[in-house]
Amino acid sequence: MTETEKFSIPIGPQHPALKEPEHFVFSVDGEMVTSASVRLGYAHRGIEKSTENRNWAQNLYLLERICGICSHTHALTYCLGVEKLAGVEIPPRANAIRTLVAEMERVHSHLLWLGVAAHEAGFDTLFMYSWRDRETIMDLLEQLTGNRVNYSANVLGGVKFDVDEELAGAILDGLDYLEKRTYHYLDVVTTDAAFLQRTRGVGVMSAERAERLGVVGPTARASSVARDVRIDAPYAGYDEYVPNLIGHTTGDLEARFEVRIKELFESYRLIREILATIPEGELTSRMPRRIKANEAFSRVEAPRGEVFYYLRSNGSDKPDRIKVRTPTLCNMASVLTLVIGQQLADIPMILVGVDPCFSCNDRMVAINRGGRSEEVWTWERLRQYGIDYYGGSH
Amino acid sequence: MIELAALLFFPGGLFVLLNGMAYEWVDRKLVARFQNRVGPRWFQPLADNVKLLVNEEVIPENVDARLFITLPVVALAGVLTAALYVPIAGFDPAFSFEGDLIVTIYMLSLLTMATGLAGANTRDRFSLIGATRTLTQLFSYEAPFLLAFLAPAVVAGSWQISEINDYAGDHLWLILTQPIGAIVALLGLMGKLEIPPFDAPEAETEIVAGALTEYSGRGLALFHLGRNVELVAGITLLAAFYLGGISNPIEYVLKTLAVLFVLATVQTAVARLRIDQTVGVWWRYGVLLVLLQWLALIGAEVIF
Amino acid sequence: MRFGTMFSDIVSSLLRRPITELYPVERRATPDRLRGQLHWDWEACTGCSLCAKECPAQAVDLIVIDKKAKQFAMRYHTDRCIYCAQCVVNCRFGCLEMSSDEWELASANKDPFTVYYGDEANVEAALADRAD
Repeated sequence: MTETEKFSIPIGPQHPALKEPEHFVFSVDGEMVTSASVRLGYAHRGIEKSTENRNWAQNLYLLERICGICSHTHALTYCLGVEKLAGVEIPPRANAIRTLVAEMERVHSHLLWLGVAAHEAGFDTLFMYSWRDRETIMDLLEQLTGNRVNYSANVLGGVKFDVDEELAGAILDGLDYLEKRTYHYLDVVTTDAAFLQRTRGVGVMSAERAERLGVVGPTARASSVARDVRIDAPYAGYDEYVPNLIGHTTGDLEARFEVRIKELFESYRLIREILATIPEGELTSRMPRRIKANEAFSRVEAPRGEVFYYLRSNGSDKPDRIKVRTPTLCNMASVLTLVIGQQLADIPMILVGVDPCFSCNDRMVAINRGGRSEEVWTWERLRQYGIDYYGGSH
Repeated sequence: MIELAALLFFPGGLFVLLNGMAYEWVDRKLVARFQNRVGPRWFQPLADNVKLLVNEEVIPENVDARLFITLPVVALAGVLTAALYVPIAGFDPAFSFEGDLIVTIYMLSLLTMATGLAGANTRDRFSLIGATRTLTQLFSYEAPFLLAFLAPAVVAGSWQISEINDYAGDHLWLILTQPIGAIVALLGLMGKLEIPPFDAPEAETEIVAGALTEYSGRGLALFHLGRNVELVAGITLLAAFYLGGISNPIEYVLKTLAVLFVLATVQTAVARLRIDQTVGVWWRYGVLLVLLQWLALIGAEVIF
Repeated sequence: MRFGTMFSDIVSSLLRRPITELYPVERRATPDRLRGQLHWDWEACTGCSLCAKECPAQAVDLIVIDKKAKQFAMRYHTDRCIYCAQCVVNCRFGCLEMSSDEWELASANKDPFTVYYGDEANVEAALADRAD
């Protein structure tokens, strides 16, 4: 088959399988995928640059909005980094509450993912039910933090609110219901014959390949790569509340379902443990407004994998540079290699199997190919370039 | 004059269209309730179709415009014709002749053919894949489906729908004597209607709207109406053959709704099959099942 | 391997009311911690402006009428506010709080989005300032 005879399927930037704009091109031979490519960057928002014009406290809320689903993760990563920069110790109770919200967020994110993945497989009933039950944890998060998404649980130096007996009781009740439902979902995804047709043996990634592609999070753990920041480099309260690593050996879509659902049980256990043994004490430490020149990084295990922040201060009340790397970027390469040789119908499933969050991962990267040609473009020139670029292609 | 009224208003034409939209609503409402949702209000299918009919119809570039406009009409005309030969609303079919069962089943397939052709007519890549899948699916379920509907005809000794209907009304329900055939016929109907698990031809998350991706406005409305009429004609045929015949409006409503209920339940409980799996299921199990049914029939014929 | 693993859910849902709440016909009580519209108690305010300085959305303007006499007014933009409560955390005198039941703030025109707080004379002074 020559290049011109290839039948290519564009998926995105607008496509029902994608909830966010990203462009994939798959070449197919009949229903078989022969090659794949991706173009990222449709949702580039310039957040990293914007942080340089806001003070440390304001950036917390800007960075929290990188992702709508793991908003607490981003706020937490940022807070951990800034606290490390400023050398501020966080009270243990604040750390426990941060961990609590992080685990509750993982529950809501994994249930959301379960629904989305089921929808991609054409199993809308599972989608509706898992999202119905997700409302339980969303309501609890709202009771605890005052908001369903973008909880803003953190402030620099601690957390905003406390957990009392009444709330702890409500959370435990909610968890009992969710745990029952999660056992049911585990049963569904591991035994339903129609659903297993779409997941078992599809998109298999070996441990070597996962290592080579630098895959993170549950996607890596499903391919028996033991990688979890909560265990490898404990942060916040995770040195006290230690999660067990949930792994799987088969590395197919079914394994990714199983790993994520079993992680839910681990989260329930951690939440119960935190509520039972939460240390007494202050909720915040004092935080300086200006931070002397320094640099730091922080890593947090988001529901999708490792989030990495690099921060540099210059003595003012604003950061000098903040660099963000989200797990979706690490997992993107695996999608492109896994779809080769699979059916066209499996593409959405494999894509969603890594739990992508495109808008979070769109960030500008400047690649310097040896030559030192650096220049600053004015807004006008950039605008004209855009007009020429898109106008010229038609 | 009476024939013309039968053709245009009752039991053909307008009545079938309204009936189809009503049943589409019942189906959607049931699925919603099964999923613990509220579901649409009763006029939703009507409102959808009125809105589509009012909307502009966009004819894409690089298509045969005449074919693009004609195909929805052909599809709707085909299923409306099929509806004339089935006992809609419990009355005798408006038209009837010896062998109309075969004509009806092929008229029902006309919609699928037109859908496939409509997809192949446009240059859209999703439409082309959708068309391929639609036609692939048609060839996989069509033979077992036809054989499942011929089994009642054979025991009734006639290929005329009204006579099979009368036969079914006088004897033990055929779903009890031919359970395998009934299951295959029901699944075949689901394949024909492209509802889960056989909705690969219009799998939203893969190929947008399948063969009909490029259709909008009037053309899309006609295809939707065609699908609704096919639903009514299909479940009426199924109820008449396997659920003891349909001889009055009350029986019609109860029996067709019973079939619709089963249809909604099955489509809620399963995930979508890939197109290769659909073909596998039909040729590996569907054909085998229906052949088993036929062997049982022949066996019974020889013994008694 | 079996079929219809969700069948029990389907049956139980058929006998139950849908989970969907028909907002705005049905309204459920909001939790106490819900962050709604901001309220300002002008009597305790010392005018440190930390609320306005660290607001990530520039939703709060503290207008100084007379610094010595501690006379201030506040212009609050409900449309810019991201309801993060950083201002509430920052205020050392507890003059700011977020209402838990004023959250249906949608409007067809922009006027209700700008809210003035303060005693009458100060608000008038702030409005006059704006008119200039």
